[in-house]
Amino acid sequence: MNWRPPLRFLGRLLLILAAAELLPGLCSLLYGEVSDAVAFVICAAITGASGGLLIALSRGKGELYRREGFLIVVGGWMLASIFGALPYMATGSLIHPADALFESASGFTTTGASVMPDIQSNGHGILFWRSFTQWLGGMGIIVLFVALLPELGPGARFLYKLEVPGPTAETLHPRVHDTASLLWQIYLGLSAVQTVLLMLAGMDLYDALTHTFSTLSTGGFSPRNASVAAFQSPWVEVIIVVFMILAGANFSLYYGLRQKRGWRSFFGDPELRIYLLITFGVSALITGVLMSSGTYSHSPRAFLDSLFQVAGILTTTGFATADYEQWPNTARILIFVLMFVGGCAGSTAGGVKIMRFVIGLKAAAREARLMFSPSHIIAIFIAGKAVPETVVRSVMGFFFLYFSGWGVGTLLLTIGSPDLETAAGAAIATLGNIGPGLSAVGPSGNFAFFAPWQKIVMVVLMWLGRLEVYALVALMTVAFWRK
Amino acid sequence: MGERFAVMGAGEVGFHLARTLSREGHSVMVIDLDPSLRERVEDAMDVGMVLGNGTHVPVLEAAKVRNCDLFMAVSSSDEANLAASVLAKSLGAKRSVVRVGIADDVTTHRRTYEKVFSADLLLSTQLLSTTRILNHLLGHSTLAVEYLAHGKVQLRKIHLEEGSLLTRKPLSEVDLPAGSLVVALFRDNELIIPSGIDKAQVGDHALILCRSESTGKVERMVSSQGRHYGTAIIAGGGITGHTVAQALEGHVDQVKIIERDYQRAESLAQQCPNFEVIHGDANDLNLLKAERAHEARSFVALTGNDEQNLMASLLAQELGVQTVVALVQRAETSHLWKKLGLMNIVSPRSIAAERIQSYIRSGYNANIASLKSGQAQILERTLAPASPAVGCSLAEIKPPRGIIFGAVVRGERVFVPRGPDRLEVGDTVIIFTQVEHLPTVQLLFPGREPAS
Repeated sequence: MNWRPPLRFLGRLLLILAAAELLPGLCSLLYGEVSDAVAFVICAAITGASGGLLIALSRGKGELYRREGFLIVVGGWMLASIFGALPYMATGSLIHPADALFESASGFTTTGASVMPDIQSNGHGILFWRSFTQWLGGMGIIVLFVALLPELGPGARFLYKLEVPGPTAETLHPRVHDTASLLWQIYLGLSAVQTVLLMLAGMDLYDALTHTFSTLSTGGFSPRNASVAAFQSPWVEVIIVVFMILAGANFSLYYGLRQKRGWRSFFGDPELRIYLLITFGVSALITGVLMSSGTYSHSPRAFLDSLFQVAGILTTTGFATADYEQWPNTARILIFVLMFVGGCAGSTAGGVKIMRFVIGLKAAAREARLMFSPSHIIAIFIAGKAVPETVVRSVMGFFFLYFSGWGVGTLLLTIGSPDLETAAGAAIATLGNIGPGLSAVGPSGNFAFFAPWQKIVMVVLMWLGRLEVYALVALMTVAFWRK
Repeated sequence: MGERFAVMGAGEVGFHLARTLSREGHSVMVIDLDPSLRERVEDAMDVGMVLGNGTHVPVLEAAKVRNCDLFMAVSSSDEANLAASVLAKSLGAKRSVVRVGIADDVTTHRRTYEKVFSADLLLSTQLLSTTRILNHLLGHSTLAVEYLAHGKVQLRKIHLEEGSLLTRKPLSEVDLPAGSLVVALFRDNELIIPSGIDKAQVGDHALILCRSESTGKVERMVSSQGRHYGTAIIAGGGITGHTVAQALEGHVDQVKIIERDYQRAESLAQQCPNFEVIHGDANDLNLLKAERAHEARSFVALTGNDEQNLMASLLAQELGVQTVVALVQRAETSHLWKKLGLMNIVSPRSIAAERIQSYIRSGYNANIASLKSGQAQILERTLAPASPAVGCSLAEIKPPRGIIFGAVVRGERVFVPRGPDRLEVGDTVIIFTQVEHLPTVQLLFPGREPAS
């Protein structure tokens, strides 16, 4: 293992993070929270100094190979979560390191699960930081890094693929730096539009920005205790629903629109069609359940609430305008199933991703067909294009690892949990980077009651889900560390 | 004294060509890399043999390509053939024929290749054999196909048999698919430009312009036989197998391809969701039975090996498949196949050689619209802003009877222009014209035909 290049990369990453920590400091200052502002400056100084130290330690030459790439990507997410936790402790909003790390990792991985008991008791700066980490993590911190630093060279492509391992890793542009910049441009553009729309709907700049940050990253942190429901505005809800759905779709489709490929090719994308079908189909189903069970009396309200919760869970955002824990069990189980689905490949959403289910389903059907015609060779087609066998293999392995991770996580979280639903819900809520789970960790619940070691378990689940399992699992194999 | 030819590549195509041409009294030089072929060539025919790589200038000079009437690059390597064609032309060969492997090169990008590699005739053995195989399989009687406008439009020369729709009704009453037009009829070496009230006769060769998507429909209407349903089994998933499978789509219910090589089978399966690809040996009777070969309507043996094709065809025949077609590399054995009851034999090399010979006999006119003397030509012109025809409607141009505007390709749309239709910049117009009207066409649509 050549330690120098990964350390140098991670050092530079910390420098970018230090700069990012100054922005919430400014926010604190604007709201007159001077002590918080000072805390942010101190954190930025510590982060920056650590980054500088890493860079100083890693002087000298060294080539970047595959293994080093794993260290950079996994190490990058770990360091970002750890140094991102400092402001929570420094401003005094979360004193316990495990709590701070949980909140920070929940931010960067765009999970949105919280251990803060009373969110609105915190300062403006720290809540801004909470949402801002989601926005930074949404497009991927390595993608951000690759977009900011054009001189990374050939190693950048591998880093990018490690972080965005989706089954259809399209390269929009021959240079990976340009691809990353393009993705960030789309992301920034959507963010600007949503912020303006939310302000037109009556939010102030602070609320509009923080909610935009957590919508487009599919994170789900809100600076309000009651989440989006606090605004009591259908317009705000509609805007956020639309942008959640947009954020859960493949970003390369927006690139296609920008290249004037037209709406036909946009809506012709098979994954997008399934995604929209699930979103609206399940919403309609739940609306039916809610109306027939008498939970709601007003059907447009029931539909908007269903759509909002469905989009919130499917895109793994986790915003809430209604507590689905109060809904009939049929609706709850539908929501629970959606937690395993996730958004589209190439989006900011987490979860298994729809494309993997499509490939997995077709691969399973193929195995069944091969039982009775073993000499046939059948390729798996998505939109008329064959999926390479290596991708099919990796998807099948993904399912196994993902569901094993969920099983082990559930087992560990049952200790001290009020019920099995809480443990299973907390495990998928963190592994799928969703946020709210079931029962005690539902939309109105909180993750604070777990033991500190269980919070660390959930942090690992969040990383596992965000890096789509393989990168982290590879680091845990013996062969990786063998000379 | 006859003409002077140079043939690059003494494989089946080159060998056959060289022998035929030298027998006709022409002087032929043969170029090949393989020294072991020298004796075989010199024993079989009276030609000069140059050993060496046809992409080297000294070799071409030794083969006296300067001022030769036709240079034929028919070796098995596409790259060598293309490179040799450019070199031979720049050394002074009057014309060149190039053989390439991939059908797409000819259907879609023919003009580009002909221009860049200064080839006068580009042909794909696969494509020629595919047309022939489809004739056998589907009862078509296509004699030749020319691909126009990047493969969007085809000009097909079809032999009209007893029972064809065109011979039963006046042309105006035959409801051909949109974008199709009968531009000419050849009858006893005469060119007839038909009007709506004319009727075709059995034995005529009809020249039909149509969109590539509707060739199946056109063929079905023009040929005497109806649509063939059922399963087609293809043994051998090489380039020819793939091309035939693609061409069969839409003509049959199901295409099954049996391929021995696993990797090739896998890549074939990844190219089209509609093919059923089976990994196995087409000579395996159990496999054929398991794949219900006895219920198939047609069977095509397209492996590169004559023995395997023979075995597979005999098995298919034994199982009762209606139409069995086999690819035979060694054309001289074809009478043996026929003795065994296998009547539908396709020999790609002799087809390629025939095509080149007919090119030579037509007085070097690659155009399939032309007869011996070149009475008519098909032209493809893309309208530049300066072209005098831009903005004019057909009614304003008033073309004389010998000129037919066969089709206009505008973007993805292909249509037969009518009186009020106006031509736009960027349109590709396909014009069929008798030679005496060529100057008029040139005036209206300036430009050079890269191929003729």
